[in-house]
Amino acid sequence: MSRQYDLRDEIDAAEVEPLLPIEKKLIGWSLGLGIAMLVVLIAVNHFVPIKL
Amino acid sequence: MSDVAIKVSQPVTLQARLNEDWLAVVIGLLVFGSALASIGGIDLLGWAVTTSVYADISQALNPFAKAYAWLGGGGALIATYVAMLAVLSVGVATLGADVRKFALAFTAVFAIAYASWIAGSYAYVAAVTPAEQQKFGIAWSLKLTNEGGFIVALLAGIVIANFFPRFADWLKEAIRPELYIKIAIVILGATVAVTAAGRLNLASSLLLRGAAAIIEAYLIYWAVIYFIARKWFGFSREWSVPLASGISICGVAASIATGGAIRARPAVPILVSSLVVVFAVVEVLILPFLAQTFLWHEPLVAGAWIGLAIKTDGAAVAGGGITESLIMAKAAAEGVKYQPGWILATTTTVKIFIDIFIGIWAFILGYIWTNHIDKGPNRAKPSEIWQRFPKFILGFILVFVVSLWLALGSNPQVAKVLPAAAGEANVFRVIFFVLTFFSIGVLSDFRKLWQQGFGKLAAVYFVSLFGFVIWVGLLISWLFFSGFKPPLAS
Repeated sequence: MSRQYDLRDEIDAAEVEPLLPIEKKLIGWSLGLGIAMLVVLIAVNHFVPIKL
Repeated sequence: MSDVAIKVSQPVTLQARLNEDWLAVVIGLLVFGSALASIGGIDLLGWAVTTSVYADISQALNPFAKAYAWLGGGGALIATYVAMLAVLSVGVATLGADVRKFALAFTAVFAIAYASWIAGSYAYVAAVTPAEQQKFGIAWSLKLTNEGGFIVALLAGIVIANFFPRFADWLKEAIRPELYIKIAIVILGATVAVTAAGRLNLASSLLLRGAAAIIEAYLIYWAVIYFIARKWFGFSREWSVPLASGISICGVAASIATGGAIRARPAVPILVSSLVVVFAVVEVLILPFLAQTFLWHEPLVAGAWIGLAIKTDGAAVAGGGITESLIMAKAAAEGVKYQPGWILATTTTVKIFIDIFIGIWAFILGYIWTNHIDKGPNRAKPSEIWQRFPKFILGFILVFVVSLWLALGSNPQVAKVLPAAAGEANVFRVIFFVLTFFSIGVLSDFRKLWQQGFGKLAAVYFVSLFGFVIWVGLLISWLFFSGFKPPLAS
């Protein structure tokens, strides 16, 4: 259990790591691609409605 | 991964996770195959115990098939316990578990979980309509349906976890919620196929809309939560990746898969997973009732929302089961009787679509981390996609395809008796659900939320879940599923 407590102490004591450009790219591309694909799917959903 | 269990000192290896997945496939197929034998006139599982809503407890239990009526309810319960103990003991032996300890703990787990299920079927808890209340001679009831037993099992587990921690520790060998739910999901393939065969157009439309869940979980949820963890709460990359995966994708499995992919220390995703389980319990206790109150007139929106909002397979799929019962009960009280299975099928479809891509997402993160962030000799390889693929999904797909073929592609006689065979397998699906709920409860030690250091992790989870995940999930579910209802029961 001591390792568990070490980890918790580590969370509090950890120094802030600045966001790297590659992380910003990952976040930006994920969000951009996600929103664009959702818009496409919403359009598909509109033109091809659920069939009962 | 019951082995989630919050013990950081035990490294969780990828190998162990894969074995548990394959074990779920084997046991699920064993149940499905045995149930299919009834199509040929050989009833191998008719002795399995079922529980009806009751006012007199002597009427509560019965064997599934009339041919086994001579067993009586008690005999069926014992037969079910012995069969499950035997199969699961052999199964966990292949995982390297202590079989003697498992057998003792499973006996207690089965007894408490099934007692909870029986308690949940008491008429004062389960009866829904005035006609049912009249039938049982009662003036009021909680109207939780008999699936309220899931909630009773969950609460029983929570009480044990928080007030009897030594007993909870003694039970741990049989506290395997991920194994139980994976077996249940494999078995569920038959029920989903039988349901889908009745309305193939609706089923294929639901499948297409499952794609929206993948985009939402991986591209939108993950990116936002990773940003919140890193920028607002100052977590390191090693903590932020499993945390974002746990909250956005599929709790435990995604947290461990992506943690491994970025070469995080094994203890980090395990600690995150314990938090995921605790929050999933809170969601299961709240969201189905919210869905019943506010979304009962949009059942498929409710089903999709539960699949998108509740993390961990166990809590999500089981939560879908409760939501279906609650919404069907409310609709029945208003005079609308939906065909059962559609809400749960929607939740399961959403969840399975999300699960399928865990391996690919883990590889993408692994590639970025090992090539651009922590460059070292141990680079991510494409073979990790298959290694991290949740294999139990293959079992679900196999059962689904075989059942669908039997329902639509074989002769009409087989199609006619298939629902009964699927129903027989479903008895075990329900029991594995009950075991899952109880096990999740036993893993939910709420005191951990107040322990030093955990508060910050919990804060990320709380902010992300209640400030973002639940509402975006509701919006997306509404956009894709509103206005479409399950077919009415004939």
